Amino acid sequence: MRLACPCCGERSLDEFTFLGDASVTRPDPSADDAAGAFHAYAYLRRNAAGPSDELWFHNTGCHAWLVVTRDTRTHEILGVRLAQDVALARTGNRKDVRETSA
Amino acid sequence: MSRGTSYRLANGGAIDRSRPLSFSFDGHDYTGFAGDTLASALLANGVRLVARSFKYHRPRGILSAGSEEPNALVELRAGARREPNTRATTAELYDGLDALSQNRWPSLAFDILAVNSLASPIFVAGFYYKTFMWPAAFWEKLYEPMIRRAAGLGRAADAPDPDTYEKVTAFCDVLVVGGGPAGLTAARAAARSGARVVLADESFALGGRLLAERRTIDQMSGVEWCSSMTNELAAYDNVRLLPRTTVFGAYDSGTYGAVERVSDHVAVPPDGTPRQRLWRIVAKRTIVTAGATERPIVFGNNDRPGVMLAGAVRTYINRFGVAPGRRTVVFANNDDGCATIADLAAAGIDVAALVDTRSATPRHIADLAARLGVRAINGVITDVEGRHGVKRARIRTTDGASLVVDCDLVAVSGGWNPNIQMTTHLNGKPRWNDAISAFTPGDLPKGMSVAGAAAGEFSLTACLAQGTRAGAAAAAATGFDAEPIDVPTTGDEHVAISAFWHVEGSRHKALVDFQNDVTAADVALAEREGFRSVEHLKRYTTLGMATDQGRTANVNALAILAKLTGKSIPETGMTTARPPFTPVALGAFAGHHRGHDFKPSRLPPSYDWTREQGGILVETGLWMRPAYFPRAGERDWLDTVKREVETVRRKVGICDVSTLGKIDVQGPDSIALIERLYMNGMTTLKVGRARYGVMLREDGMVMDDGTVARLGEHHYFITTTTANAAKVYQHMQLARQWLWPELDVELASATEQWAQYAVAGPRSRDLLSSIVDPVFDIRDATFPYLAAAELTCCGGVKARLYRLSFSGELAYEIAVPARYGDALWRRLVDDAHALGGCAYGSEALGVMRIEKGHVSGPELNGTTTPSDIGLGSMASKKKDYIGRVLGGRLGLTDAERPTLVGFKPLDRAKRLRAGAHFIARNAEATAANDEGYMTSAAFSPSLGHWIGLGLLRRGPQRLGEVVRAFDPLRNEDNLVEVVSPVFIDPEGARLRA
Amino acid sequence: MPEAMLIETTPFARNKPIAVPGLVVAYRDGVTVASIAAYREKAVALSDLIEATYGVALPAPGRRVSSNAITLQWSGPGQWLAIAERGQRGGAVRDLEAELKPIVAGLAAVVDQSDARGIVAISGTRALNVLAKGVPIDLHERAFATGDVANTHASHIAITIARLDDTPTFELTMYRSYATSFTDWLRSATAEFVHTQPR
Ligand SMILES: [Zn+2]
Repeated sequence: MRLACPCCGERSLDEFTFLGDASVTRPDPSADDAAGAFHAYAYLRRNAAGPSDELWFHNTGCHAWLVVTRDTRTHEILGVRLAQDVALARTGNRKDVRETSA
Repeated sequence: MSRGTSYRLANGGAIDRSRPLSFSFDGHDYTGFAGDTLASALLANGVRLVARSFKYHRPRGILSAGSEEPNALVELRAGARREPNTRATTAELYDGLDALSQNRWPSLAFDILAVNSLASPIFVAGFYYKTFMWPAAFWEKLYEPMIRRAAGLGRAADAPDPDTYEKVTAFCDVLVVGGGPAGLTAARAAARSGARVVLADESFALGGRLLAERRTIDQMSGVEWCSSMTNELAAYDNVRLLPRTTVFGAYDSGTYGAVERVSDHVAVPPDGTPRQRLWRIVAKRTIVTAGATERPIVFGNNDRPGVMLAGAVRTYINRFGVAPGRRTVVFANNDDGCATIADLAAAGIDVAALVDTRSATPRHIADLAARLGVRAINGVITDVEGRHGVKRARIRTTDGASLVVDCDLVAVSGGWNPNIQMTTHLNGKPRWNDAISAFTPGDLPKGMSVAGAAAGEFSLTACLAQGTRAGAAAAAATGFDAEPIDVPTTGDEHVAISAFWHVEGSRHKALVDFQNDVTAADVALAEREGFRSVEHLKRYTTLGMATDQGRTANVNALAILAKLTGKSIPETGMTTARPPFTPVALGAFAGHHRGHDFKPSRLPPSYDWTREQGGILVETGLWMRPAYFPRAGERDWLDTVKREVETVRRKVGICDVSTLGKIDVQGPDSIALIERLYMNGMTTLKVGRARYGVMLREDGMVMDDGTVARLGEHHYFITTTTANAAKVYQHMQLARQWLWPELDVELASATEQWAQYAVAGPRSRDLLSSIVDPVFDIRDATFPYLAAAELTCCGGVKARLYRLSFSGELAYEIAVPARYGDALWRRLVDDAHALGGCAYGSEALGVMRIEKGHVSGPELNGTTTPSDIGLGSMASKKKDYIGRVLGGRLGLTDAERPTLVGFKPLDRAKRLRAGAHFIARNAEATAANDEGYMTSAAFSPSLGHWIGLGLLRRGPQRLGEVVRAFDPLRNEDNLVEVVSPVFIDPEGARLRA
Repeated sequence: MPEAMLIETTPFARNKPIAVPGLVVAYRDGVTVASIAAYREKAVALSDLIEATYGVALPAPGRRVSSNAITLQWSGPGQWLAIAERGQRGGAVRDLEAELKPIVAGLAAVVDQSDARGIVAISGTRALNVLAKGVPIDLHERAFATGDVANTHASHIAITIARLDDTPTFELTMYRSYATSFTDWLRSATAEFVHTQPR
C-alpha cells in the first residue's frame, strides 16, 4: 500500500506508523461524564467496513501525523490530510486543510 | 532408452551449438548447449524419468516447458548451495550444473517407496484426517516421521547460504508482465512514447511462445522478430528489460513483487554479484501479458514419463532442437494441440496417431493430417502403459472401438488457461469464458490492463494487436502521447476448442494434480464425502496446494467436480491464487538484512573504546550499549558487575547514557504541552533545574519516565528511556499536532547531538571538577541535586551538566556535542582511573537502580499504574494530563492491586529470578493463589546477596511477611521476605552529598 | 586545569572509504547544522528575515536552496535544516545555532544538530543503481530534480536525501549513530560494481 503524504508525496507503507481511529476526539476532561466519555474515546470503535478515517504518522518522512481515509474493504486510499490542519479546522482555527486526495 | 542416445535434432532451435556445456544428473555426465534448460538437455540425452512423485512415488518425466512444471522437480547444486524443488524446465543450463532427482530411494529407477502406490488406499484424499486419527501420541513418534520419509519434496541445504541477495525498488510509468508477442509490442508502443517502461519475463530470452512456434512476423522468423524487438527495446534509455525475472505478486497501489535470478544460470555468482535480486516495482500502469498455460487431459497413467503437453513438445522441438520422443500420439480437444502434428512431422518425428476428442475434426486439421499421412482418430486415450515411460496408448474411438498404438510420446492438450494470477492477487474474480473453456480476467485492479493470451486471445494476430494497443493506452494514461505504431503482421491460425476434461473408465490412476498426487478418484471421493465447495475440495485433497499452486490442475479439477455436482464450472467457482506466482527463495526477501545486517545498529559514542577494551555490548532496541567491561582475572560477568558497582559506590564510575532519548521543546506553550504529557506538575520547575517525570498512556498505564530540564524561559529539554525514545517522540508529536494543535510549541529530536555520560559515586564531583571549565562552580551549594546548566568543559567545549542520579550516589550527567564524545569518554576514563574509579555498563547500572528501588523497563511494562510502582503520590491533582481520567477507574485504583516492594531471599545464599510468582507461604501453587510476580532481580554487591523488586498484592502493607517466589519454568521455589524497595540509603543522603 | 580542547571524531571515522568505478562516495565533515521550526503563523516573517540575512528565503516543501552563506533544506511542515561549513568566518568557528538564535528569536525554535548527523555525498553514473537498493523513492530526474529533497530511509535507516546536480550527485543525511550500518549497507550495495566499469 502507498500513502500520499501531503508534505512528501506518495510513499510506501513502511515509512508510516499506524495509530488508530481518527474519528474519535479527546473528550473534555472536566465534564461531568468524563469517565464514560474517556472510556468510549479509548475503547469504542465503529470498525466500519468501508471508508474510515485513520491516524498515521509519517515516521521516516516529515514527522507529520496524518488523517488517512481508507476503504477497509479494498485498501483504497480516498484522501490524506495533515492531522494538525484537520484538528485546527475542527475547532475553527484553520480553513485550508493541506491534503492529497485520490 | 539407453543413456547417450541423442535426441538432439540435426538442426534448428535457439540454442548455441558452438557452446557445449557439460552437466550431471544423478551422478551421470551429459552434454547440452548454451540456451538449453536442464529439461531440454535431459531430453536431448534421452533422459525421460527424472523424478518420483510426492505421495505415491510414481515415476515422473517432464510435463511442460515452463514454470508450471509439476513433475520435473530436482535438487540443484550441492552442499550449501543445494536447492530442492527446482523446476528442470526453467533451470538454465550452465557448465558444471549438478542436479539430483528427489523422492527416490535407493535410486530413481528402483524406488522402494513406490510401494506407497500399492498402499494407495490409505493415501487417498483426506488420509491425514482418517488414517492417523489416534492415538495422538503416535503422531510425533510414528506417523509424522513415516509420512516425512515417504512423502517429501527434496532436501534443503543444511549449511548457511554462501550467496548474497539484494532488494531493489524501481519506479516506472508502465510495467509489462511477460515478454511474449503481446508484451513485446506493448513495451515497444509505450517505450516509443517516452514513458518509463519495465518489461519482465521469466525466461532468459524474451519472446514467450514465439520462441517455440514456427511463425513468421513481418517477414521474419519468430526468433528473429523477438531478437529484433529485444534489441530495439534495449536501445531505449527509458526501458529496463528484466529477463530471468518473475513478477510474482500484485500488491496495493500499483506495487509489484518480482524476483530476478541474477546468477542462477552460473555455478557460482561472480564476486560481489548477488544470487537473486528482489524487485519492488511501483508502476503507474501495468499491462499483464503473462500468456497462457496449457492443461493436460485427465486419463489413466497420464503422469507417466513421455506424456507431455503439446505446446511443450513444440517448445522442445522448435526452441531447443530436441525430439521429446521418437513416435508420438497427439491427443487434443483443440486445433492448436492437433496442429502439433505439423511440428512433429517437420522435425522428422513419427506421428502414430492424432486423437481428437471432438466428434468432428475441423476440415483444416483433417486436411493437415491427410497431407502428413497421420492417422486421425476421433476418440480418447483411456490409458497409457509402460512402467518407467510411455510404451503404448490405449485408444477408445468415438464409435466405441478400442485400439492400442505403440508410442513413446503422448502430446496432450486440453486447451489453455490464461495466466490471470496477477489479476486475482488483489481479490479480482475471474470470469468463465465458454468460447475458450477457460477463466479470463474479471474486474482488474486500478491501473492494470491485460493483453494477449492472458486476456484469452490465443491467436498471434490478436496478441500483437492487443499488445500494441495496450502499450499505447497505458503510456497515454501516464501522460505520454504514443505515436501510432503499425501492428506487426502475421498469418492466421485456428484456435477452436471443444471442452473436454476427463476420460472416464480408465484402468489406471488418472492424475489431476501431478505435484500433490491428487487423482480424479480423489476428487470424486471428496465429492461423495460432502466436500463439494471448491475450497473444501482443495483442503480435503490438497489439490492446488503444492508449490505450483495447481496451475495445470485447478481447472481440470473444477470441471470434474462440476460434472459430479451437476453444476456449471463458473457456478462451482475458482480458488484464489495468491502471491507468489512461483516460489521465491526466502533469501531474496531478506536481501541485505541477514546475520549481522539483520537490522541496522546504532553505535553510541563510547563504542570504539568499548571494543578496544573487550567490553561486552548488549542490544537495546537498535542501540549497542556497553553492558560491562571485563578485566583479567574476573571469572564471569557477575564478578565484573560486582566490581563495577562497588567501584561506583566507593569511588566513581562513568557510564555512557547517550542512548537516552532527548527531545528539545521550545515555544511559548512549551510548559502547557509538558504539563499535559507528564502526570506530575512541572510549572514550578525553575530555569536551571531538572525534575523526574512520568508520562502515562491515555488508559492510565505508565508509558515512560525520564527527566525534564528547563534551560530557558520557554525552553525545556526532555529525556526518555532508551527503549521508548521513538514512541515518546511520536506521542509528543501527536499531542502537539492532533490533540492540542493550537499550542505553539516545537519539538526537535536531539538524541544524537549529545554524547552524554553519567558520572556517579562519592568522587564524581572531584572527577568533574577537572573536566568542567573552572569558571563554572559545581559545588553543592551552587549546583545542588537536580541542577541543570549549559556550560563549557575541557577548555571551551560546549557542554551541559545535570545533577541527576539513577544509582543513588552523588551523580551527574555531562553532555558534549557528539563529535567530542569519544575524546571526552577517554578523558573521563583516564581521570576516573586516577581516582580509583572505572567505567561501568548497563548491567551495573541495572543492579544499582534495583538496589535503589528505581523502576525501569521490567516495571514500566504497559500493565502498571503509577500507584502500582509506588509513584502514585507524584500525580498532580491540580491539572488534567494524559491518562488522568481513565487512571481513576475502579480497577486501576483497587487497593488489592499488586504493588511494588522489595524482596530478599530468606536463605541469603539463594538466587532470585525475575518472573517468579508470589504465593502466600502456606498456600498451594495454583493460578488462583497468584499474588504477583518478581519484575527484576540482581545480586547486590552492597548487601552481599540477591535482591528483587516485584509487584505483590497489597505489597506495602505486607513488609516483613514471608512469601513463596515460585518459578515453575526454572523449577525454583524460594521463600522471600517482603521489604522496602529501597535497599540502600533510603534517606537519599548520598545523592544530595 | 584542562590543557587542550578535545579531539573531534567524525561520524564516518571508523568506516573505510568505498571506492567503486562509476561512483564517488564523499563524507562531508566539518559542517554546522541547525534545525529551524517556525512558531505558529510566523513562517512568513521568518522566511523574510532569513532572506534579508542570507539572501535566500526558506524553501518550499521538498526543496533545498543554497547561497554562499548557507544551505536551507526543508525537513517537515514549518521545519528546515540550515547547513553551513563550520570553517573559519572572521576567525571564528561558525555555529549556526548560535548564529540563528538571536536572528529568529520569537519566530522559530533553533536547535543545534551539527553533531547529530552524518552526511555523505554519493555521485556518479552508478549512483541511481546503488541507491535503488535501499532508498524506496523515485530518484529519477523526472521525479526528483536538482534541488529536490526528501525524508525517507535507506535500508531502514532514516535519511534525508537531496539531489545536488545531474551527475547525478545525491547528499544523504542520517543520524550519526547509524553511520556504520549505513556504510555496511552501501558497501554491500556497491559490491557488484567493484570489478566492472560502468557502461
Ligand atoms: Zn510526509
